[in-house]
Amino acid sequence: MSTVRRLVLASYAARWVVLPPLTGVAMLALIVGAVIVAPREAVEGEVQRLFYIHVPAALAMYTAYSITFVASLAVLWRRDLRADAVARASAGVGVLFTALVLATGAIWGRPIWGVWWAWDARLTSTLLLLLLFGGYLLARGLADEHDEQAARFAAIFAVVAFLDIPIINMSVRWWRTLHPQPIVLRLPGDQALPNSMLAVLAVGVVAVVLLALWLIALRAATEQLAQRTAALRIAMDRREDE
Amino acid sequence: MNDERALHDAPLHDTGLHDTGQRGALLHGAGLDATRAVLGKDLRLLWRRRASWLAAATFATLSVLTYAFAFDLVTDDVRPLLPGVLWVTFLFAGVVALGRAFADEAEQGTLDALLLAPVPRTTLYVGKLVAYFCALLAIDVAMLALATVLFNVGLLTPELLLLTTLGAAGYVSLTLLLATLGSRVRSREVLLPVLALPLLMPLLIGGVRATGAALDLPHGDAPWLLLLVVFTAWSAAGSALLFPLAVER
Repeated sequence: MSTVRRLVLASYAARWVVLPPLTGVAMLALIVGAVIVAPREAVEGEVQRLFYIHVPAALAMYTAYSITFVASLAVLWRRDLRADAVARASAGVGVLFTALVLATGAIWGRPIWGVWWAWDARLTSTLLLLLLFGGYLLARGLADEHDEQAARFAAIFAVVAFLDIPIINMSVRWWRTLHPQPIVLRLPGDQALPNSMLAVLAVGVVAVVLLALWLIALRAATEQLAQRTAALRIAMDRREDE
Repeated sequence: MNDERALHDAPLHDTGLHDTGQRGALLHGAGLDATRAVLGKDLRLLWRRRASWLAAATFATLSVLTYAFAFDLVTDDVRPLLPGVLWVTFLFAGVVALGRAFADEAEQGTLDALLLAPVPRTTLYVGKLVAYFCALLAIDVAMLALATVLFNVGLLTPELLLLTTLGAAGYVSLTLLLATLGSRVRSREVLLPVLALPLLMPLLIGGVRATGAALDLPHGDAPWLLLLVVFTAWSAAGSALLFPLAVER
C-alpha cells in the first residue's frame, strides 16, 4: 500500500518533467499510426480513422470525471480547497473531451449512419454527461474561487452526478440503442479488429489519456495559483485596513 | 458524533434520561421530534405563503394548457402524448415549487438556527422532504384531475396515483438536496433547473414509459416501474447521506 502511495506521489512530483515529452511523443505516434500505419477500413473508408481519437477521447472523458469524483470526495472529507481546484480542472477537461467525443462521433455518423445525430442510448447519455458537468462548471464558476461553501456544494453535485451515470446509462439503454456494440473488449480468439488497428488504438489511448492528464495538471496548477492569489489579495486588503 | 455529544450535554428534556443506555432512545425520539417540528413548520409556511406555492400550481396548469394549444391535444387522439405532457409538467412545476425551499431560510437565518439543534441533520432534511413532497403531490394530483377533465381520459386511477407518488418522492428527495444552494450562489433560480433536469432524466424516462404502460400504450418491454423505484431509492439514500455535508458551515 505504502509502495503504491510512494509511487503515486513520486510520479505526481515529476509531472512537469514526465508528462509533456511523453505526451508529445505519444501524440506523434498516434498521428503517424492513425494516418499512415493503420490500414484503410474496407467498408467505412477513411472516416473510420476517427475511431483512433473517438474511443481514446471517451476513455479520457471517463478518466477525467473519475478524477473529479475522487477530488470532490476529498473536498467533502478533508475540506481541502486544493482538491476543489483539481475537481474543477478535471471537470473542465472532461467537458472538453466529451465535446470531442460528440463531435468526432457526429462527423463519423454523417457518412456512415446518414445523420449527424441519432437518439441512440450512448449518444444521449454522453450528451447528458456534457450537460451534467457543464452545469457543474457553471455552478462552480458563478461563485468565487475561495468560497468554501460553493466548493462543497459543487462537490456534492459532482458526487451525485457521477453516481447518477449508471442509472442514466441504464435508463437510456432501455429507452433505445443504435451505437455500434463494443468491438475492442473481446476474447483474444474472437477479435474483430486486425492487430495493426488494435495497436494504433492502444497508442491512441495512451496518448489521449496522457494529454488529458497533462491538461488536468496544468489547469489544476492554474486554479491553485488563482486561489493563492485571491487569498493573498484578501490578506493584503486586511493589512491595509488596519 | 458531535450531535450526539451535544445532545448528551444539553438539558433538552426533563425526563431524567441521563444514563448512556437510554441515550440512543432519546436521540431517536429527539430526531423524530425534530422531523415533526420541521415538517409542521414547513407545512405551515407553505400554507401561509400560498402565493409562491400556488404560483407553481398555476404554472403547471398553464403548462398543460400550453401543450394543449401547441399540439392540438383536444381534437387528436391525445393518449400517446399524455404521459410526456404530464411528466414534463411535473418536472417544471417541481422546479418552481422547490426553487425557494431553502432560500427564505438562508435569508432569515432560520437554517443556521435549525442547524444548531442537537439532532442528526438528516432528520431536518426528512421533515422538509415530507412537507415539500406533500406540496408537490398536491400539485401533481391536481394536474391529473385537470387533464382528466380536459382530455376526457381517466387518469385518476390507483396505478397512476402510485406512479405519481413514487415520482414525486424521487423528485423531491433529489431536487431538495440541490435546492440547498441557499443564497450563497448567484442566479440560483436559473441554476436549479440546469443542475436538476439532467439528473432527473431517468425519472422522466421511467415515469413516461410507466404511465404509457398504465394507459395501454406501446412502452417497450423494460421494467419501468423498477427504474422509478431504483431512482427514488437512490436519490433518497444519497440525499439523506449528503444533506448534512451540504448544509455544513
